[in-house]
Amino acid sequence: MTDTNSTGDASTEPTAAGDHLEIPTVERLCADIEANVSRVIVGHEDVIEHVVIALLGRGHVLLDDVPGVGKTMLARSVATSVDCSFSRIQFTPDLLPTDVTGVNVFNQQTREFEFQPGPVFGNIVLGDEINRAPPKTQAALLEAMEEEQVTTDGQTRTLPTPFTVIATQNAVEPNRTYDLPFAEVDRFMKKLHLGYPEPDEEADLLGRTVGDHPIESLEPVTDRETLVAARETVSRVQVAQPVREYVTRLAADTREHANIGVSPRGTISLLRAAQARAAANGREYVLPDDIQTEAPVVMSHRIKTADRDRDGDAIVADALERVPIE
Amino acid sequence: MSTDASGRADERPISLETNQVGGAGTARSVALFCVLVLTVSYVSVLYGITQVVGGSLSLLALVAAMLVGATVLARLIRPWTAAALALAAAGIGFGYYLTSAGGDPSVVITAADTIVSDTVALATGLPILQMVQAGIWTLGFAPGPVFLSWYLAMRGQYGLSVVPGGAALGFLVLTGDAGMLVTVTGTLAAMGAIAAGELERHGGSIQQADLLAALFALAIVLSLSVTVVPGQPTAPTHLAQGEPGSLEATLDTAPRQSGIAGPVNLSPAVRFTVESDQRSYWRTGVYDRFTGDGWVRTGRSSQYDEPLTSPPNGGETVEQTITAETKLGVMPVAPQPITLDGDVTRRTTVSRHGQPRPETPLSAGERYTVVSSVVDPDPAALRTAGTDYPDSVTGRNLQLPESTSSEFRAQTAEITADAENPYETAVAIERHLESSKDYSLSVTKPDGNVAEAFTTEMEAGYCVYFATAMTQMLRAEGVPARYVTGYTSGQQIDDETYVVRGLDAHAWVEVYFPEHGWVRFDPTPGDSREDVHTDRLEQARDAGSENVDTEESDDVPVPDESSAPTGTEPGEQPEPDPNETTETDDPNESTPATQGNETNETPSNPATGTSGGDSITDGSLVTITRETAALGLVALVGLAAGARRTDAATRLRRKLGIYWHGRRHDPDRDAERAFARLERLLARQYRPRRRSESARAYLHALSTAANAADAADTTPIDARAERVVDYYERATYGTGVSRTEADEAIAIVDELARDRLPVVGRLH
Repeated sequence: MTDTNSTGDASTEPTAAGDHLEIPTVERLCADIEANVSRVIVGHEDVIEHVVIALLGRGHVLLDDVPGVGKTMLARSVATSVDCSFSRIQFTPDLLPTDVTGVNVFNQQTREFEFQPGPVFGNIVLGDEINRAPPKTQAALLEAMEEEQVTTDGQTRTLPTPFTVIATQNAVEPNRTYDLPFAEVDRFMKKLHLGYPEPDEEADLLGRTVGDHPIESLEPVTDRETLVAARETVSRVQVAQPVREYVTRLAADTREHANIGVSPRGTISLLRAAQARAAANGREYVLPDDIQTEAPVVMSHRIKTADRDRDGDAIVADALERVPIE
Repeated sequence: MSTDASGRADERPISLETNQVGGAGTARSVALFCVLVLTVSYVSVLYGITQVVGGSLSLLALVAAMLVGATVLARLIRPWTAAALALAAAGIGFGYYLTSAGGDPSVVITAADTIVSDTVALATGLPILQMVQAGIWTLGFAPGPVFLSWYLAMRGQYGLSVVPGGAALGFLVLTGDAGMLVTVTGTLAAMGAIAAGELERHGGSIQQADLLAALFALAIVLSLSVTVVPGQPTAPTHLAQGEPGSLEATLDTAPRQSGIAGPVNLSPAVRFTVESDQRSYWRTGVYDRFTGDGWVRTGRSSQYDEPLTSPPNGGETVEQTITAETKLGVMPVAPQPITLDGDVTRRTTVSRHGQPRPETPLSAGERYTVVSSVVDPDPAALRTAGTDYPDSVTGRNLQLPESTSSEFRAQTAEITADAENPYETAVAIERHLESSKDYSLSVTKPDGNVAEAFTTEMEAGYCVYFATAMTQMLRAEGVPARYVTGYTSGQQIDDETYVVRGLDAHAWVEVYFPEHGWVRFDPTPGDSREDVHTDRLEQARDAGSENVDTEESDDVPVPDESSAPTGTEPGEQPEPDPNETTETDDPNESTPATQGNETNETPSNPATGTSGGDSITDGSLVTITRETAALGLVALVGLAAGARRTDAATRLRRKLGIYWHGRRHDPDRDAERAFARLERLLARQYRPRRRSESARAYLHALSTAANAADAADTTPIDARAERVVDYYERATYGTGVSRTEADEAIAIVDELARDRLPVVGRLH
C-alpha cells in the first residue's frame, strides 16, 4: 500500500498542513511503535497492536488478567515508545479520590493554596488493579477518562494531551475487590486479555531478563506532537455509509440477544477503533474488516447477559456471524 | 433492516428508495376502492335483472341512498345497531316482496309462498330472472348488503365488510346470475379489500402488491379450472340433441332458458317421427321473459299430473304418437297438450305454461302419446276476441326489457298503425317482418337488445330473430305474446306420419286471444327458410350422411310434401313452412356418434364437411371471448408478478452477468459490479460468500482453502482477484476509483470468467 521506505529511522515528520499526517506516515508510525514495544513484551503482537490502536483512536484500555503477565510492562513500554509522560496509580482499598486527582495544599510561604497535581496528570496513566479501590475513587479516574479534565475544589483543570488510561483489573481475588460499575466499564474503548505467554515465548522472555531489563534501555520512536497529529489524522479516516449501517446493525443485534447490548458510546468507540486500525493499515477508509477485527474487544465488555454460559464474547461472535455486511 | 440488507451491493440505492413508498393512506384508499368494486359487482348483476324486468332507477337510487346513509352513519352508530338496521332494511324489502307476491298465490314461484323456499330455490341454481317478481325481489335484496358492507368499510373493518358483500355475490353466483367476469371481479375485490386492510393495519407497503397479484392470479386460474357454479347458462347439459352451434342447441340451451345465438348450422339428422292425423308444429318450449339477449321461462315446473289445463274454448282434439329416433331432451307436442301417455310421463315435468319436458332425455325408440286440444279459430272470431285479458296472462306476457328504446315502440306503432284489433296488429307485424327481412342462418348476434337490433338494423336473421322481434313488438303494442320453440311439422311420408329432423327446429310466436287461448303466428319468411333447409337436406343426402332419413322418408322428394298445414295460421297466412324440414346443419355437424338410430360410425364426416362447400355457416370459427382474454391477461399479470417476486429476471441477469459486464456507468458502480461478477464466479467454483463475510475475508478464506487443498485439481485463486477486491473496497467504502481502474477490474473479471467457462476453460 505504501511506497515509502519503511526502513528509515524512527523519525516521523509532521506535515505542514495542520496537525495531521499522511496516512502512510501513520501506518509506519504504528509499525515502529509496535516493533519497539515488542522489544520488551514477548509475543502478544495482537494485544500490542490493539493498545497502539486504542492510543491512536483516543480510547482507554482495560486489561483484565492474572497478575504478573506483563500488564504494567506493556503500559510503560508504550509510554516510553511515544515519549510521553507515564504515571502509575496503584489502586488500594484505602485510596482516596484526591490521591488520584491531586489536592490543594496550603503553602506556608505564599499563604495560598497550591494545587498539587495527582498522578492522573500524565499522558499515559496506568491504573493498576483498579477494582481494588472503592467506587468513589474509581469514579475519580473514570470521570477524568470521560471528560479529559479534573475538577477539584470547584476548579477544573484540563488533563494533558494525549491522555490514555491503561487500567488493569485483578481477576483472581474477587472477594477483595469492588466490581467496576457496568456504566464505567463502558468508558473503556477496549478490554483486552494478555494471558500467559506460549512456552517458547516464555523461554525467550526469561532470556531477555538476564542482565538489564530491556525496558531500561528502551528509546522513544516518536514524540508527543507526532502522536497528537497522528490522532488527528485517524479522526479524519473516512467511514462510508454502508459501514456505519453495518455497525448499527451489529449493535442492534447485540441489543436483541442480550439484556443490555452495546451502547451508542460503544458504537462510537467501535468506529474510532476501526478508523485507527484502517490508518494503521495504511487505508484512508474503514472496511467492514476493520469493524470485524475490532468488534470483539470493543463490544464484548459492554454487553450484559442473563445467561451465564453466553458471555459478551459469544454474543459478539454470533452477531459477527449473523449480521450481513451489506 | 432486513429488507434493505437483502439488497446486494449493486442494488443498494434502489432498495433504500423503495421502502418509502405507499403508506397506510394508500392502503385505505385501495381497500375502500375494493369494497366499492365488490359492491358494484353484485349490484351490476341486480341492475342487469332490473334492466329486464323494470325498476333499475329505483335500484340505483336505493343503492346510492344506502351508500350515503352508510357513510353518514358510520360515525354515528355502533356496529350492532347497523346490523339491526341492515336486517330491518332487508326485512322491509322482502316484506314488500311478499305482499306484492302474496296477492296471487301463483305469482310467487309456483307452489311456494314463502321467502325461504324461494331463496332455497334460488340458491340451488334457479336464476333470479325466472322468479315471477324478480324486480321486487331485487329491490328487497340489494339494500342490506350494500349498507352493511359500506358501513363496515367506512369504519375500517375491511375484513368484516367483505362478508355481507361476498355473501350477496356468492348468492348471485349460486343462482347462476353472476357471470364469470362479475364473479371474478367481485372475488378479486374482496381479496383486495382484505389484503389492503391488513396492509393498512400492519403499516405494510403497497409495494408488496406483487405478492398479492401473484396470489390473485393463482386464485383466479385455480377457481376457473374447477368450476362448480350451478346453472351456468352456457352448458346445454340437459339436451342430448343438437351439437353446439346448431340451431337446436341455441333454441334449447337449458331447461329454463332459450338463448339467441349468432350464426348457427342445421342438422339433417332425424330426431323423431310423429303419427298424427293432423299436421302441426311440434312445440318443445315456451318462454315468457325476454332479457334482451335471450328468453327465460319464469316460475317452477311441477310433476305431470293429468289433465293439463285446456284452452278456454276447447278445440279440436288431436292425438299424436311421437317416437324418438335419437336421444331426445325435449317432448315435442302439438299445442295445447292435455293428456300424456307413455313411460316417459313418470319423469315428466310440466311448466306453468303447460309445456311438458322429460327430466331425463328420451332414449331412441321411446314413444309417447299426446292428446292435444288444437286451437284453430277463424280470423273473424279472433278479430272480435277483444282485449279482456286475464291478469295471469298480462302479468307475464307483456314484459319488455327496461332498456327498450322509444324508437322501437314508435316503429312498432307505425307498422301497426292501421290495425284495429290485436289480431290485425299481429298480422301486420308478421307481414312486416316477412317482407322486410331476409332469411339467413349466418348472422352475427348483435349486442344489446336483439329484438330492437333486428327490427332496426339487421337485414336478415333466422326464426329466433323473427319470433323474438315479433313477440316484443306485440308486447310493445300491449298484446300478450310469448316466444315458443319447437319443430315444424317435418316431412310427411304418408297420411299420418311425419319425419322431423334437426333442421326442422324452429321458433315462433304465440299470441293470446281471450276466449280462444294461445294462437300460433310464424313471422319467419317461409319460402326462403324452406329453400335453405331443403338445400341442406339435399346436401346431406348427397354426401351420404347418416341418420338423414328413416326407412321411408328418403323416397319422398322433400319439397313435394307440401300438404297444407293443418292447424294453425288463421287466415291469410298461407302456412309458410309446410315442409320446414330443412334447418341445415353444417355438414360436419351430422356426427353419427351422437345421434341416433342406425349408428354405423363411418368417419364420413370430413368428406361431407368438404363436399358441402356452401355450408351456411362457419361453425368451426374459433373466437376468443372476452372471458378468455381476461383470463389470459390475469394469468399473464400473475406470472409477471410471480417472476418479480422470485427475482427471475434478476437471476437471469446475474447468470448472464458473469460473462458480460454490460453497459458501463460511473466507475464506482462498475467496480462494484465487477466484484459482484467475480463473486458469482468464485461462488460457482468454490462456495458463495456468506453474507456476514467481508470481501477481503472471503477471498482470504478461499485462497487459504485452495492452498490447503494442495492444488492438483483445484485452481488457486488468481492473484488478480485481489486487485478487483481492492477496487471494489475503494469504490464502496473509500474515495472511489478512477475510470481506468474500473476498466481494469472489468477486464480482469472478463478474463477470469473466460478462463472458467465450462468448456472453453478446459481447451485453454
